[in-house]
This record gives sequence, structure tokens and C-alpha cells, in this order.
Amino acid sequence: MSNIDRRKLVKGSLAVMMAGATFSRGGLADTSEPILLGVSGPLTGPNAQYGTQWKQGFDLALDEIMAAGGINGRKLVYQFEDSQSDPRQSVAIAQKFVSDSRIVMELGDFSSPASMAASPIYQRGGLVQFGFTNSHPDFTKGGDFMWSTSVSQADEQPLLAAYAVKRLGLKKLAVLHLNTDWGRTSRDYFTNAAKEYGAEIVVTEGYIAEERDFRSTLVRVRDANPDGLILISYYSDGALIARQARQVGLKQVICAASSVYSPKFIELGGEAVEDVHVGTRYFPEDTRPEVQKFIAGFKKKYNGQEPDAFNAYSYDAMNMAAAVVKIGGTDRRAIRDAFTKVKDVSSVIFGSATFDVASRRVKGAMNAELVVRKGQFALWDGKPT
Amino acid sequence: MSSWLDYTINGLIVGNVYALVAVGLALIFGVSRLINFAQGSIYLVGAYIGWVAVVQLHTPLPLTIIVVAVAAAIVGLIIERFGLRPLQNSVRIAPLLATIGISFVLDQLVMLTFSPNPRALPSQLPDVRFQVGGGTIGPLDLLIAGVGLTSALLLFVFLRYSKLGWAVRATAQDRDAAMQMGVDVNRVNQAVFGIAAALGGVSGMLVGMYYNQIDTAMSLQATLKGVVAEVVGGAGNVPGAVIGSLLLGLVESYGVAVFGTSYRNLFAFLLLVVVLVLRPNGLFASARQAPPEPLTGTFIAPSRPVRIPRWMLLAASAIFAILPLFPVSFYVLQTLINAWLLGMLALSLTLVAGTIGQVSLGHAALLAIGAYTSALLSLTLNVPVGLAIIGGGLMSAALGTLLISPSFRLRGHYVSIATLAIGEIVSLVILNWESVTRGPIGISGIPPLSLFGYDLISPTAIYWFSFAVMVVLALLQGRLLTSHLGRSFRAIRDDDIAARAYGLSLNRYKSLAFIFGGFAAGVSGGIAAHLYSYINHETFNTQQSILALTVVILGGLGNVVGAMLGAVALVGLPEVFRIAAEYRILIYGIVLLLLVRFRPQGLLGTM
Repeated sequence: MSNIDRRKLVKGSLAVMMAGATFSRGGLADTSEPILLGVSGPLTGPNAQYGTQWKQGFDLALDEIMAAGGINGRKLVYQFEDSQSDPRQSVAIAQKFVSDSRIVMELGDFSSPASMAASPIYQRGGLVQFGFTNSHPDFTKGGDFMWSTSVSQADEQPLLAAYAVKRLGLKKLAVLHLNTDWGRTSRDYFTNAAKEYGAEIVVTEGYIAEERDFRSTLVRVRDANPDGLILISYYSDGALIARQARQVGLKQVICAASSVYSPKFIELGGEAVEDVHVGTRYFPEDTRPEVQKFIAGFKKKYNGQEPDAFNAYSYDAMNMAAAVVKIGGTDRRAIRDAFTKVKDVSSVIFGSATFDVASRRVKGAMNAELVVRKGQFALWDGKPT
Repeated sequence: MSSWLDYTINGLIVGNVYALVAVGLALIFGVSRLINFAQGSIYLVGAYIGWVAVVQLHTPLPLTIIVVAVAAAIVGLIIERFGLRPLQNSVRIAPLLATIGISFVLDQLVMLTFSPNPRALPSQLPDVRFQVGGGTIGPLDLLIAGVGLTSALLLFVFLRYSKLGWAVRATAQDRDAAMQMGVDVNRVNQAVFGIAAALGGVSGMLVGMYYNQIDTAMSLQATLKGVVAEVVGGAGNVPGAVIGSLLLGLVESYGVAVFGTSYRNLFAFLLLVVVLVLRPNGLFASARQAPPEPLTGTFIAPSRPVRIPRWMLLAASAIFAILPLFPVSFYVLQTLINAWLLGMLALSLTLVAGTIGQVSLGHAALLAIGAYTSALLSLTLNVPVGLAIIGGGLMSAALGTLLISPSFRLRGHYVSIATLAIGEIVSLVILNWESVTRGPIGISGIPPLSLFGYDLISPTAIYWFSFAVMVVLALLQGRLLTSHLGRSFRAIRDDDIAARAYGLSLNRYKSLAFIFGGFAAGVSGGIAAHLYSYINHETFNTQQSILALTVVILGGLGNVVGAMLGAVALVGLPEVFRIAAEYRILIYGIVLLLLVRFRPQGLLGTM
């Protein structure tokens, strides 16, 4: 064994002893001390909007958790460190969280490079990295401390394909997708499912996140003569594509992945997104109580603002974290094991969430088939547009 | 065939959008010889002022334009007076860096005021569309084209026929001579910044309306495309900027037509490199124009470097070397590991930018090449990690030098623009070359760092490893700089004509510098790949290139110890400001501005 390894062992055992000391102090003497979660995510930089949305969802969930008496009488709080979704910063944050014995588990980061660069540190440090926007297929392969409530695209995309091909009867499809790990993975699951249902993919175009001008892309789409456009996009680029599609004279049916589900999609897209079909995991008129509670609470807390998908993810993630900590206590290893025990947690996205222990993800996202009608998302009534 | 008409129209429309930014950039470059990286931020400010006017004050369109123009002009005047005028007599690179700092501050202020969520900025023109080819054109398309062309025309007339315009041109040609002839150079600068900012603000508003969407991340893209368009047209040439923009729009549009959407920006940046290689001053640079840069000491401040005594260096190295033996947290060690990795990148950049005078804004590409090479060697060919990292360094040295060599004949700002383009090209090739790089999915499961069969996974081990690598590279570079070769490098930087007359082969020496620099950067990227275990095309982005340049300027160009100091400071500062959460980039920007203002030659001075 090399020197380095020996020193690491000494350090490791010291850290364990210290953590143990803190724990016993916290566990026995002082139950009024809050339970601390670490959050690593973007508050500045190009993805700052998502960090802001996370906070809204977290804060709402925490209000409700506190109102219900907290975690066995203790407060649950989080410490949000800004990573700008940059891997260099997320690894430093990971070391910070791992060596801070007050932190019982971690949530985030936002993008795959930032999250997966930090995974080895969380794995070795024995701190759960709970990624709730991490749909990269390899994220939970980072180790048994990586868990995710991000809907697997293997789950979601076939549902969208069924909506487009089986229900809407589209046979020749043009697929436009964000050229990121998420967009690419989603596209592959979508095209496989769509082909299985008998549709033909006539053109596929990947675009980068900063793109604003899609006119030329859409001429390519027009020349391929599809009868439907599939958008694997976020709401801002999805709205742009829909607007420009109408401007260059494309009148085809548009179908979009759930990630466009946001009031902002309609605000930014205006009339161009009228009649756009969206397969989504929840929508405000869903009568399920967990959805109604979430929406009512959100509107009340944020001056009538409508929540969107990222608000829902973070809200669900905080509720899941609370449920796990309730079972696992404040010991990091026990918290990891609690992920295998937690059952049927009330969830906006999943209805009730239970982890699949093998994949460390949740299966069975809810699905609603929506369409934009008169400037609002509505349940699709089965009529063609 | 009709599709080609559509591609052409679309290219012209988006070209108009680029023109709005490029004209402002060209005007400022014409007078101040400065690439204003804050132009995109003024565009952003204009868009948000437009939003306030339209959505909250319900102003009619003509009034909206006036409000935005005036407000943006005021911002421009403030930038000129407090951000740039104090830097007049400092190194050329100082104002460039200041505009980067200003853009951080402006972007961040807008984000804090309006939140980072995108907003809709409704168009105030009627939504009628005219059928042209297979597509349609709306009034806003025409307005944007009108604003772009009219402003270029008006500016041309202004520069040619008005007295202030003459003063502007005189100042552009020879600042000192103009001053001696009684031109109030400061007033000229002010006028130019005011006009350029007003244009930039209005363009942000119009583009926001065009897309019905504004967000706080729109400024960097606008700057990038504007700079490309401007340089293609001929830096400082206002009508050239418009033509360059239209050309850029067309190339992008035809590129999409032929190769598909994911190649779009690749063609934009390739166009830039090709133009720079064939016509180094842009397509429409006039033959009579004065040489764009003085011949000597382009970027280098006349400063006396701070000599750090040898014992102090030894003591500092010793302290850093034994640091992990003390009870410091892993977080501190990880932060310092980041600093050592950045330090290696800075060594590379300080050699090429500081010692031989080729400022690079695309240095992250070298990291990416090293990282991908090392990751792929160890993953697919099972090369031991230690060797794979060296392989990454060698590949960066070879490929980096090869890619950058076309820019060897460029000078001044054109070098930085060419390297910026090469950086983007490498990133886009990584995104599109899926059979090798796995495209957007990236490479995961990269084996951890290891040496002679021992895995280095504790932060302590990684700390020592990266520190040792950096020290060895720094010692080698220090030795290089004191050798005959180092003196030749500096001779080329200080006066390339004299150096050539003396018989030095410029290209060969520049290649040597890039080979050594590329190696250091590639090793840094390789270590990062094994440290992160996952990389994709976004891991090493433009921001890292700018960060590296900041480090080098901060430490002092060409200064090896300065590069280390700068790396520790710039990795450390944002961590120190971590408690400030949303405000930390703002604070970082302000600190950067103050440093440029009061210590433009860098903390330790230029070697």
C-alpha cells in the first residue's frame, strides 16, 4: 500500500470519527438543530433561470413540510451553492459538502457535465447525490450513492411517440431536437418508438442551445414534406421554433416533449403555439390531489405565478428528500439505504414515487395528453387539429 | 430550386440581425482600435429597457425606440467615461479585458433586476406577412433591415461629411496627431461610444421583438456573432460590417441547407478563419488604411516585473507542497487542484500570449483536445492513465499548433479573433464527430487518475500529483525563458520586423511556443478528464478561455510566477465570494475592473 493510500485511510477514519461525534451530539443532545441538505446548482451564468426555479419549488415544499411538523420535529433546511453548472465548481462544492458533516445529502447539479464530474467525489465520500434533472442514461451508473427522480427518457418518449403516431395519426415525422445529451437520448428513444408504431422519420435536425434562428432549418423540414413536427426542446427554444415554423409557412401539426410545459411557452410563443400538442407529466387541471395542492400552494406563495415543469421537479425532489431523511435519519449511509425503503411518496410527476432499486430511478411517470387551446394548456379532447 | 430562394432570404434576414450589433462594434473599433466585448451587454440592456417601455409603460414604437436609444447611449457614455478612459495610456489588452469585466457587471445587474427567466417582448408592429418565395416576410424583418442599412449609411455620411466625423476619422488614424491638431479626442470617443451604444440598445430591443423573447444569456452570442461579422467585413469599416453580417447570415443559411442544422456555427467560424487567412484585414479593409497596430510592443506594457526572491518562491512552493499534511479541508484542496489545473493552462497561454505575443481567446480548445485524447486512449485502448495524459499533451501540442498556424501571419486583435474562432470550431467538431467523440452524449466512465498502477483518488493524492506536474512544467518554462530560445521569443514579440531582419524564422519560433504551450494545456485537460470521469463538448467552453486570459493578464504577461498567482487568485476569488450567491459574479467583475484599472501590467508585471 502506498503512502498516499495510508494517509487517506487515516484521514478517512478521522473524518468518520468526527462525523460520528457530530452525529451523536446532534442525535442525543440537540434535536432542535436543523437538518441540512446541500444543493449544487446554477444561480448565475447561462442556466441561472433553472436554479431560480429550483428554489421556488424547494421553498414551497419546505413550507409544507414545516407546517406538517418538520422531520420528526426538526427543521429541514438547505444550503444552495452556486455552481453555474460548471464542472470545475461543482467538484469543489462536492468536496465542500462531503467534508461538512452537517450535510446529510446533496441535491443537483443541473447539467450532466457538472453533475457527473462531481459524482465520483460524492460516491467516495459516501454522500447521496440526488439528481432530479439528470436524465443522462449514465448518471445513476456513477455508483450506489447516485439516485434520481428525473424521468427516464426511455419511459417518456414512447408515450410521446404513441400520442403523435397512434392518437394523432401522424405518419411522416420531422424531429427537431436540442443537441445535448438529453436531447440526443430523447430523440433516440422517440424515433425507435415512433418507427415501432409505424411512422417514418423523414428528417432529423439537432440544434445547439444558443440557437435563435431556425428559418433555414425549417426550410429543410418543409422540403422533407412531413405531416408532423416533433420538438424535443425546452420551452424557450420550442416557442421560437413554433413561431418561425408558422412564419416560414409550415402549417403541420406540432407535437412537443413535456419539457416545453410552462406558461412561458405560451407567453413566448403567442398565437404560433396554438394547437401544439404536448405530452406532459402533469397539468393544472389534473384532478389528482397532489397536483392541486402543489398548484394552489405555488400560486399562493408566488403571487399567482403558474408553476412549470422545473418547479414541479424541485418540489417533488424536496418532498422525496424529506421522506428519505424521515426514514434514514441523519446518517449518510442510512440515508442511502432509505432510498431503497421509501415507498409511495406523494409526487406531482409520478403520482406516487417508489424507486426501482436496480436503476436507482423512479418509474411510471404520469402522462397527460394536452393541447394548447385559446392560449391555455387543455386536455386533448381527441379531435384532430 | 425555390428552396434556395428561401435560404437566401433567411440568410439575409438573420444577417440583418447580426448587422445591428456589428455596426456598433465597427464604429468603436474604427476609433479606439478596441473590440468591445461589452457591446452584447448593451444590446441586452437595450432589450430589457425596451421590455419596460413596451410592457409596463405601453409606449408606442417610435417612443420606445427613442427611450431605448437614449438610455443605452447613457450606459455607453458611462462605460466610456469610467470604464475605458482611465485606461487610455495603458496596454492595449487592458481596455479589451475591461470590456469583458464590464459585460460581466452589466449582464449580472440585468439578471438581478429582472430575474434570469426569459420574457416575452411583444412586437409593436402589425403582424401582417408578405409571401416571398416559399416563406414570408413581416414588417419587423423590414424594419430591422432598414435600421441596419440606414444606420450604416448615416454613419458613413457622418464620418465623411461632418466635422465631428472628420475628427473621429482623424482620431482613428492617428490619435496623437489628431490631439496635436486640436481635436478633442475624449469628446470624439464619447460621441462614438454614445452612438454605438444607442445602436446596440435599439438592436437588442428589435431582435427581442423579432423573436418575441429576451433573456439574460443573450449577450455573449450576440457579441460573438457581431465580432465575426465585423471582422469578416473589415474591422472598423462600417459599411463593411453590414456586408460582413449579410455574408455571415448567408453562409450560415447555406451551411444549414447543405449540411444540416448542427453544423451551422461551424461554417460561421470557418468563414472567419478563411477570410482572415486570405485577407487578414477583412474583406473590405481599404488599402490606404494605417496598419492596424503599431509595430512594436503591441500588447506589452513597459513595466518592470516584480522580481520575487528565490527563497520566497522556494518557501511558497514548500508551503503549498506540505499543505495537505495539515488539517485542511478537502474543499480547500479541491479548490487548489482547480487552481493548479488552471495554472497549467495559464502557463501555456502566458507563453504564447505573453512571451511571443499571440493572444489566444480559444485556449480551452487545447484543454478539450488533451482531455478527449487522454480519455479515449485510456478507455478504448487501455493505455495506462499516466501515459494517456502525456498522450493528451502531445496531441494538443501537435493538433493545436497545426490549427493555430494559419493565424501566425495575423497581428494584434486579429490573432485573438482567429483563436476565438478556432476554439469554437474545435468545440463544434467535438459535438459533430460522433463516431469518435460520442457527440453530445459525451464520454463517461473515464478511469480515475493513476500512476504506476496506484489509483490517485483521494483529494490529497490528486493535489500532490497536479501540483507536482504544474511545478515541473513551470520550471521547464522558466528554463526555456532564460535560454537563447526565450530571448528569441521575446524579440519576436517586441519587434517582429527587426526579428525577421535578424534572421529569425517567425513561424518556426511561434510553432515551438505553441508546441510547448499546447503540451501544458493538453496535460491540464487530460488530468481534468480523469478527475471528472465525464466530459462532453460543453466541459471546456469559451468562458474558460476568457478565464485563462484573465489569469495571464492578472499575473503579468509572460510571467511564469504571475500565472500561478493569477490562477490561485481567480479560482479562489469566486470561492471566497461564494457566500454572496447571486452577487458573486458581479463582485468578481468589479474586482476584475479594478485590477485592470490600477494594475494593467499585471500583479507581477510583464516579463
